[in-house]
Amino acid sequence: MEATEIQTADQRLELRLTTAKAPPCRKSVRQHIAKVAEFLVVVAQFGLVVLLVQYWQLESQLLARLMWLAFVGFVIHHLLPLRFRLPFFAMLSLFAVITAVGHLGPNMGRAWLTGKLTTAGFLYHLIPGLTLIGIGLGLIGLCHLPIRFAARVGLVAVAGAALAFLRAHSQWFPDVTEMWVILGSMFMFRLMIYLYDLKHRTAPFSPARAISYFFLLPNVCFPLFPVVDYKTFCSTYYNEEWPRVYQTGLKWMFRGVIQLLLYRIIYQFAPLDVYKLSSALDVAGCMLGMYLLYLRISGTFHLIVGLLHMFGFNLPETHHLYLLASSFTDFWRRINIYWKDFVMKLFFYPTHFKLRKMGTLWALSVATLATFFATWLLHSWQWFWIRGTPLFNWKDFSFWMILAVLVLLTAIYEATRVRKRTLTPSRVTLRQRLVLGLQATGVFSLMCILWTYWSCQSWAEFETLVDAASRPTFREVMIVFGALLLICICGMLWGWSSRETSEGRRTPATRGPFHFWPSAVTVTAGSICLLAMPSVATRAIPDFKNMVARLHGDVLNARDMAQQRRGYYEELDVGGMDNWRWQGAEEPEGWSKGRKAFYRERSDFLLKDILPSMSTVLGGTACTSNSLGMRDREYQKAKPANTYRMVLLGASNDMGTGVKDNQTYENLVEDTLNSRVPDARYSRYEILNLSVAADTLLQRVLRLEEEGFEFQPDAAILSVTAVDELVMASHIRKALIRGIEPSADYRDVVQSVIRRAGVNGKMPAVMIERRLQPYVTELCRWSFQRFAQQCAQRGVRPIVIYRPVPADFSGMESAARSKMLELARAARLEVVDLSPAFDSVTDRSSLVLAKWDDHTTALGHQLLGDKLYDGLVPLLFGSPGQQQASRPKQP
Amino acid sequence: MNPQDVKTTVKTFLLNEYLPGEDPAALTDDTALMTTGILDSIAVLKVVSFLENQFGITIEPHEAVVENLNTLSDIARLVISKEAAT
Repeated sequence: MEATEIQTADQRLELRLTTAKAPPCRKSVRQHIAKVAEFLVVVAQFGLVVLLVQYWQLESQLLARLMWLAFVGFVIHHLLPLRFRLPFFAMLSLFAVITAVGHLGPNMGRAWLTGKLTTAGFLYHLIPGLTLIGIGLGLIGLCHLPIRFAARVGLVAVAGAALAFLRAHSQWFPDVTEMWVILGSMFMFRLMIYLYDLKHRTAPFSPARAISYFFLLPNVCFPLFPVVDYKTFCSTYYNEEWPRVYQTGLKWMFRGVIQLLLYRIIYQFAPLDVYKLSSALDVAGCMLGMYLLYLRISGTFHLIVGLLHMFGFNLPETHHLYLLASSFTDFWRRINIYWKDFVMKLFFYPTHFKLRKMGTLWALSVATLATFFATWLLHSWQWFWIRGTPLFNWKDFSFWMILAVLVLLTAIYEATRVRKRTLTPSRVTLRQRLVLGLQATGVFSLMCILWTYWSCQSWAEFETLVDAASRPTFREVMIVFGALLLICICGMLWGWSSRETSEGRRTPATRGPFHFWPSAVTVTAGSICLLAMPSVATRAIPDFKNMVARLHGDVLNARDMAQQRRGYYEELDVGGMDNWRWQGAEEPEGWSKGRKAFYRERSDFLLKDILPSMSTVLGGTACTSNSLGMRDREYQKAKPANTYRMVLLGASNDMGTGVKDNQTYENLVEDTLNSRVPDARYSRYEILNLSVAADTLLQRVLRLEEEGFEFQPDAAILSVTAVDELVMASHIRKALIRGIEPSADYRDVVQSVIRRAGVNGKMPAVMIERRLQPYVTELCRWSFQRFAQQCAQRGVRPIVIYRPVPADFSGMESAARSKMLELARAARLEVVDLSPAFDSVTDRSSLVLAKWDDHTTALGHQLLGDKLYDGLVPLLFGSPGQQQASRPKQP
Repeated sequence: MNPQDVKTTVKTFLLNEYLPGEDPAALTDDTALMTTGILDSIAVLKVVSFLENQFGITIEPHEAVVENLNTLSDIARLVISKEAAT
């Protein structure tokens, strides 16, 4: 390594470090005490921020562990002599890589020390981290080989291509799968910058610097990481007094926490589901929500940069009031200044300088377009390292090119019109502020639209948004206008910015005043508030509990849950499967490999059913169907003598997706009935499970009429849930698109709804569903009435059971449950409400199969079975006392 | 050319091009230009073009940075070093 390549720069840095640290020879005791007090306050604040991250479970458990490591490391780092600090940070970063990538937590260490984990097992966990470090050091080594620079670049490119090939086939190395994401995140861009700076010798180089730069401590938790510039990284190291650097870091970490919490609020509560938008106001909320979801990136970047400050890296501020940008160039400068500086340095300036003979405007235009083209390619490159497959689609390309044109137009305007510049800060007039506010409003609105276009999963979704917003009411227009006015006012107040470069070379003249204690008080008080608020608020307002629970962990919102559900319901729909895969990226290989094998399409209004005598895997568990095409045991078609037979009509949770054949709640109830024999008139009890995944209420009732009554049931159990209204429209939509006519008795009601909703099979799926939403209650009501009427005609006892969702991720259960029960009771149906079944479970996530699959676990089925038995027996066979009295003596 | 001449030439250019009406005395040798936003990235490109044409030097992309262009003194140092190299 060329440790002394740039002696003068190195010496300057060391001198600055020494100057920054060295106290005056005659520092008074008072000053010394003040410094100690400042350090203790910094430690206390850092501790509070770590607690905040842990308490709110921000990002991942891994982050909380890393924050604790960083906290301990920070104290040691600060107390070390200056010359040992950077090597210590490098070692700490490597330690974080080994522990984080290998999932080596304190429990693992304890287990090894106490002999519960073998040494071989412990060492096995070191493999991914050590592999990453080995590859990383190899890449750094290639950069410093004593050969021509071009040859070094060539070797790095070959190594990068080889690694990319291995990343694309990461399944070949199952033990180190997760390592690729972090490796890519650490090297995919920083290696380019490193080589650039190495070529131009713009910064000092040493092993400790290189290791610190590439294996940056927080990187193991964040695949999306700011593209830190090597020169800036070196030049800003302790370039100011440590209280200022640390306190700035704490302030930004706290700001990051707030932004991540705001992101969760938006993620959980904004109307982001395009399928459910019912008004122009919903559309405005959806667009705003989609734009503000970016707070997650902004928040994590603040957290990352803040954390690096705690180790002396006085890096520039990221995401500076980007929502109030007054032009597209201003937006580009503010939003992710690390990225902007990276592409300016590697693409914009070199292109512009090569083309400068063409004239400034031409060179500017070509360089800008080339820079955005590179941005698009590099985002695909980033996607490849994180996801394993490249992302090349028209939507991304068009997004970046539209942004390129907008930035270019603004840049040309700025280049040709002389902007008012002053040497001394001048008073901004009201008129200037008003113009600024209006500009901020315009940029904000256009970015909302552009971001929504980028965020929509398909062009059809975007069309649906436009469709939903096509007839705004006066009230809605006024509300949107009020929101824009608010942005305008914010732009007037805070939109002024002279921000240009991230190079971090602030001079005393340009540096803002620094107040340690007010900042410390703000961070401390804010952190304590965020830690105490949930318990205080839930005590004062009990309804707040649900909201806090939804903000507390990393749970999917209504939209993504619906997306998963929808994806799951599209077993036979290739387009839908793509969406599902995108959302459920964490789903293990083979988790639901049987989806296509288990079902078959039908050409009638039932759309599909289960293949008879099929064995496969659904929800990660073996699943078998009987010869009658039910996910159930074998039954005779004709009802045996002395048998009380019921049919169950439901969807995937009733079918028992994700649990073994004998663990479904209906089989458990059947077993209990047969073991306890609640009514002496019957020696045998049967529950025939006619549930089929994705069946809506209409399909369940139709399935009863077409198949269920053939089994001569004594009772028909219709299982309903809170999501039944949500999925009703998908059934009609699929039938419409496939050109399937409703069954004769269903035709009038369905056609009437289709006519009034103004939908047809040629429209985009998402638009059909959105337009059907206002009519789903009507269809549910009709389904219940039909169920009651058909059962009454055949002398079958109709029973509705309300099955609770295992975990109410979307917070919609309470209202939806009341509505479904009300509709069932309005049809004079008997209802067994199973809602309390899960009351005893504190951790509701234990009732859900996995994060990517919200089907009910075996425990959930057990609880549902117990509750159903308790509700069903008195209803069908009277109280236990009566049963005992009427039971004849056994021979 | 001596550093003072370079500073005077560049100062005149900056005052005419970007700071019309400003007091020339307020633009000192150490006035920060890039870090205060007086020169944004597009203005920097124009300054580079001016320096190249005026002094017959070639500035590389990696040299169009804050260390070389933030103040009149920085600019003068860059120009002198470039002239010396050629």
